[in-house]
Amino acid sequence: MFWKEDVDNLIFSLKNVNFSYLGRFPALADITMDIRAGERIAIIGANGSGKSTLLQMLDGLIFADSGEFNFSGTKLNEKKFYDVKFAKEFRKRVGFVFQNPEVQLFCPCVKEDILFGPLQLGLEKNEVNKRLEKLVALLDLGSLLSRAPHQLSIGEKRKVTIASTLIINPEILILDEPTVGLDPLTTRKIIDLLISEGLAGKTVIVSTHDLHIVEEFADLVYILNQEKRVASFGATSVILGNMQLLQDNNLVHIHSHKHKDEVHLHPHLHSEHHV
Amino acid sequence: MFVKRSFIEKSLIDLLAFLKAGLYADEYALAQGLMQSLDPRVKTITTVLCIVLVLLAKNIVVIFCLYLFCIFLAFFSKIRLGFFLKRCWIFVPFFSLLIALPAIFSQISPGVSLFTFKVAQTTFVVTRQGLSNAGLFILRVTTSVSFVILLSLTTRHSELLKVLRLTGIPQVFILVLGMGYRYIYLFVEIVEHTYAAIKSRVGFLRYERDGRQIVAWNIAALWVRAFKLNQDVYLAMLSRGYQGEGLAWNDFKMRARDWVWLVGVILLGAVTTLCFGKRMWII
Repeated sequence: MFWKEDVDNLIFSLKNVNFSYLGRFPALADITMDIRAGERIAIIGANGSGKSTLLQMLDGLIFADSGEFNFSGTKLNEKKFYDVKFAKEFRKRVGFVFQNPEVQLFCPCVKEDILFGPLQLGLEKNEVNKRLEKLVALLDLGSLLSRAPHQLSIGEKRKVTIASTLIINPEILILDEPTVGLDPLTTRKIIDLLISEGLAGKTVIVSTHDLHIVEEFADLVYILNQEKRVASFGATSVILGNMQLLQDNNLVHIHSHKHKDEVHLHPHLHSEHHV
Repeated sequence: MFVKRSFIEKSLIDLLAFLKAGLYADEYALAQGLMQSLDPRVKTITTVLCIVLVLLAKNIVVIFCLYLFCIFLAFFSKIRLGFFLKRCWIFVPFFSLLIALPAIFSQISPGVSLFTFKVAQTTFVVTRQGLSNAGLFILRVTTSVSFVILLSLTTRHSELLKVLRLTGIPQVFILVLGMGYRYIYLFVEIVEHTYAAIKSRVGFLRYERDGRQIVAWNIAALWVRAFKLNQDVYLAMLSRGYQGEGLAWNDFKMRARDWVWLVGVILLGAVTTLCFGKRMWII
């Protein structure tokens, strides 16, 4: 066992974490958060607020310049990942879906891309084949397996990236804006998938701009602001009920339209993915 | 109004069209034909065997028979013959015609004179031996190229890469090759979109200095994008457990028809050798 069993089920614990790119461009400032097993968490914030950077840090791809970052009671830093056994166990437990599918689909065909993770992590072949069959049925990927990534639509690419992460069967699933640029039906399918993964007991962490995903799926919400700090966090109903907080962080906008001859103003949330 | 295309614009359009035609053409690999039904490993081994036969044969009849065999395979693999012949013969002038041309003259291949002509007070004599050698050379190149094109048309490129993985070449080279191949598509699209964006703003690519500047900027921008993508892809690989060693998932399966085909091609080589004996081989 590489990590301690935590009585509080604490998986990620960040205390006053700071990170900057090239040591000059701040991307995260004084971030403090605790994430427990089985929680469904949404990280919301305007463009450039540091959501993707935070998720990459949670996936052990980048490391804090200062502050304390623990995973299941073990301090995470770059050196820790030099230990191949630790790195493999961590990757088996934590799965990450990147925002840009072009980044994640780097193999010449879809099947190879999906099988890349299990192969690197040394998972047993029969088990992987079973998982592949299940995922193909769940995400309707049968016709895509032998195709090249450039032949897929954005929605299909997104489904394949999710499959390439789910096949590892991680306990903790991190998704960076999984529904951006998708049509309403595909968005709906992905939300349903997130809800089912959450119900299956996985810890799911999603960054998004879409407050409807947050409303449907998350138990807890963190808002990051333009200063790359946690502006607020709390239960979903409390955060989404605070319209002033959402407006201050560019997450809703004032929308005007006419009812007969009367101009009507109200905060506007997009709901195009509802079908 | 008709606008004459500049050299830069024409080059960009033609280059992109060529790349796309080459890279996106997998319609034949998806067809239900003879070659497509075979295991990619068997297909690759038998293609190499056929090429070895072509290279070692010195009898033009044997090589011609092998060429006809290749065309027969293309036909039963549901490849349009016009397309296949055009694909094969387009490479021949580059690779063999120019090399073979001097060999037809007596200066290189002395022998029985067929006809003579003068250019700038120099007499050129075309010999029977010269023509025969040049013909043999061109046919050998054409047949070899045809077999390779047949293999690449009837096999998905990703499967060919998988076959390479099984040959003992270090996995990391194949991984990089596969990724390079995968991302060419992305960059072709980016170049195409960039070109459309420029055209939508300036109407057409300009001539001379301005045009060259636009192309140079775009090459630089593409390099920066490629660099960023390279970093992100590496993170994506790490995220899924990559530890510096690319591993291959071998899911090829040999079926009865693959064994039949493999044995058949080996027998073809043996029978040809028996029929032509020593007259067949170079060595």
